[in-house]
Amino acid sequence: MTIRILMAKPGLDGHDRGALVVSQALRDHGMEVIYTGLRQSPEQIVQAAIQEDVDAIGLSSLSGAHNILFPEVLNQLKEKNAEDIFVFGGGVIPFDDVRNLEELGIKKVFTPGSSTEAIAAFIEQTVREREAFEPILSAPKCVDHIGIAVSSIDEAIPFYRDHLHLDVETVVDVPEQGVKVAFISLSNAKIELLEPLTKESPVQSFIDKKGEGLHHIALAVNRLSDRLTQLKREGVPLVDETPKQGASGVPIAFLHPKAANGTLVELCENEGVEIDG
Amino acid sequence: MSDLFSFEQSWQKEVDRQLQARGERKGTFQTSSNIEVERLYTPEAMEEDYMKKIGYPGEYPFTRGIRHTMYRGRLWTMRQYAGFGSAKETNERFRYLLEQGQTGLSVAFDLPTQIGYDSDDPMALGEVGKVGVAIDSLEDMEVLFHEIPLDRVSTSMTINAPAAVLLAMYLVVAEKQGVPWEKVSGTIQNDILKEYIARGTHIYPPKPSMRLITDIFSFCSDHVPSFNTISISGYHIREAGATAVQELAFTLANAKAYVDAAIDVGLDVDRFAPRLAFFFNGHNYFFEEIAKFRAARRMWAKMMREEYGAKNPKSWQLRFHTQVAGSTLTAQQPDNNIVRVALQALAAVMGGTQSLHTNAKDEALGLPTEESARIALRTQQLIAHETGVADTIDPLAGSYYLETLTDQVEEKAHEYLAEIDSLGGAVAAVENGYMQREIQKSAYETQRNIESEEEIVVGVNKFAMEEEPEQDVLKVDDSFIAEQHEQLEHLRKNRSQNDVDHCLQALKEAANGHENLMPPIIEAVKKGCTVGEICHVLRSEFGEYV
Repeated sequence: MTIRILMAKPGLDGHDRGALVVSQALRDHGMEVIYTGLRQSPEQIVQAAIQEDVDAIGLSSLSGAHNILFPEVLNQLKEKNAEDIFVFGGGVIPFDDVRNLEELGIKKVFTPGSSTEAIAAFIEQTVREREAFEPILSAPKCVDHIGIAVSSIDEAIPFYRDHLHLDVETVVDVPEQGVKVAFISLSNAKIELLEPLTKESPVQSFIDKKGEGLHHIALAVNRLSDRLTQLKREGVPLVDETPKQGASGVPIAFLHPKAANGTLVELCENEGVEIDG
Repeated sequence: MSDLFSFEQSWQKEVDRQLQARGERKGTFQTSSNIEVERLYTPEAMEEDYMKKIGYPGEYPFTRGIRHTMYRGRLWTMRQYAGFGSAKETNERFRYLLEQGQTGLSVAFDLPTQIGYDSDDPMALGEVGKVGVAIDSLEDMEVLFHEIPLDRVSTSMTINAPAAVLLAMYLVVAEKQGVPWEKVSGTIQNDILKEYIARGTHIYPPKPSMRLITDIFSFCSDHVPSFNTISISGYHIREAGATAVQELAFTLANAKAYVDAAIDVGLDVDRFAPRLAFFFNGHNYFFEEIAKFRAARRMWAKMMREEYGAKNPKSWQLRFHTQVAGSTLTAQQPDNNIVRVALQALAAVMGGTQSLHTNAKDEALGLPTEESARIALRTQQLIAHETGVADTIDPLAGSYYLETLTDQVEEKAHEYLAEIDSLGGAVAAVENGYMQREIQKSAYETQRNIESEEEIVVGVNKFAMEEEPEQDVLKVDDSFIAEQHEQLEHLRKNRSQNDVDHCLQALKEAANGHENLMPPIIEAVKKGCTVGEICHVLRSEFGEYV
């Protein structure tokens, strides 16, 4: 896919040597570059960016208006739900302002003396990273397991073993989480029986509150850590902000039940899951 | 000469021998305009006709300078471009600079003023007081020149599309100070063509813009005879990426367009030409810059006398201001900029400039602080008073190299002028984007040369440092913007709306007719109409150029 860039001059500044030279250099790097021309409002710029379906917006200002106009472009992107378009900038911009702008979400500010090679490389890398990020957003492919809270694994097993003729794969203690776990395999998912090891175990308090029964549903995902970052950014309430070790030895994390109508959802790193590239 | 020939031969032989052992630093050496620089220039390079090509200072063709005594009589005007924030802050900076020995003022206006928007216009968002001072009405202009006597200080104003409005304000302030217009001196930039080409503060389309310009020419030659009605600028063309030759050629092409326009509306060439001024860039390639200034004078003199038949020697004289090249300043190791500026300024002085702005070392980072602005001014004072270069006229004349280069720059500039003529002149060339494209090509080539390290920028692509020390930059306090808005509100409430409506209506009618626009603009300014309101009327009559 060809990278598409909108190069824009926000505000009233007429110095477009930098914008034009960078545009041409990016074209020479095989990108498609649309240049807005002078005197564009942040609104016009974002509108054009969406219309042209660009990957990034390059803002150039040498008039000192960057502190107001650059963040306004970010606001407009947010308002139009187009935050997947990233923004970089350049011009006569004091060091302090560079820091502030980058904190506000401008991906990078290039000051005088920057090479066009560096700018092109930065864009290419950012787009690559973003594309690598996109499959994380793709839907989980399958259920990894369904967790059921039980007071005693020994008492629960006969139903599965004797009546459903399923095999109990393993029974392990996971003291970090205060549970004893039994895995029962089906062809496409597992059933995980959870027995509290102590009175303080979260499974015990679950049983106390709601009784035995369906405890959580675990979905198999790839790149769990990145996905958690992404979910957090999207405002999804999390129990675990970083992955922890699960019962079967793979990284897992729980989302907060209020994210899913009271259902506790576990995300479970599963390298066998096909990545949709 | 036969002696010379044999010396040259033996020198050449030795050179060849050494070259076999070791090559030179580069395969070819070139100026910014891709003129090949020879290893050595000898008397052979000199043309016979000294009087025709070089002559005497103060005499046609003015290659050696436009004054008979040049800097021995009077040094160049040290004129530092300044302005930021409110009129009050800028007035304080002006008075500081005058106290420090600066001899003329140069006003930087903010972009809303330059593009004809009031400070409270939505288009002005983020730009008020940034690149210059915010001027909305006559009241602001009075504050700007508070306690600055306009009969003694000459003022240059970087204003183009709304030049007539700001000039009107300046004249009314002078009137209020009791200074007659005949005694007012200064310059308005008023060069719209280079705005379309390189600087980007145009408002109206070329045709009505050219009319505003010729109206100013005509009005000033009758009423403000010592005012420079235009400063035809190569500066911004060069900053946009042009070579020295392109800068010179495009500036002269634009100049021709203004002269043609004025003659077309019936003005006599000797009536307006003596008030045309020029503005060039002082760039890095030392000798080529000096050659450019000298070639410019010679070309203009010939053009005015031979092509336009001007009789008044003042019409033949190219007077120019120089600013050193802002685009060569680096954000990296900013102290190095002091040295760059000094060398560029030296070239301007060697080239016989009438006035000079030296940049501050921190301008790649932001607005200059008081300290960096002072060092910039001191750099000029040092050249003037310590180096001795101002003690004789055109000291580099007769240099085999410089005279050759002057001829070459002239010749190459003529090629461009012929090309632009064939496109139908500068206005047509601007409209079809010819000059913009040529400049863009050069700008890109320069960037590539820097990245391939064919062109060295000290501290950037060579001799760079890992850690960049932080620099102080001037922070403009934005709190004045609210005040500026309040003042506008106050003004609009307290002036006579009836008068305002009447003035703007009169201006509208004048814009539709053929009468000179200066008188109705002066009237509107006096009655409290703002820059935005006046430009709005003209916008709706003339249209906007995008």
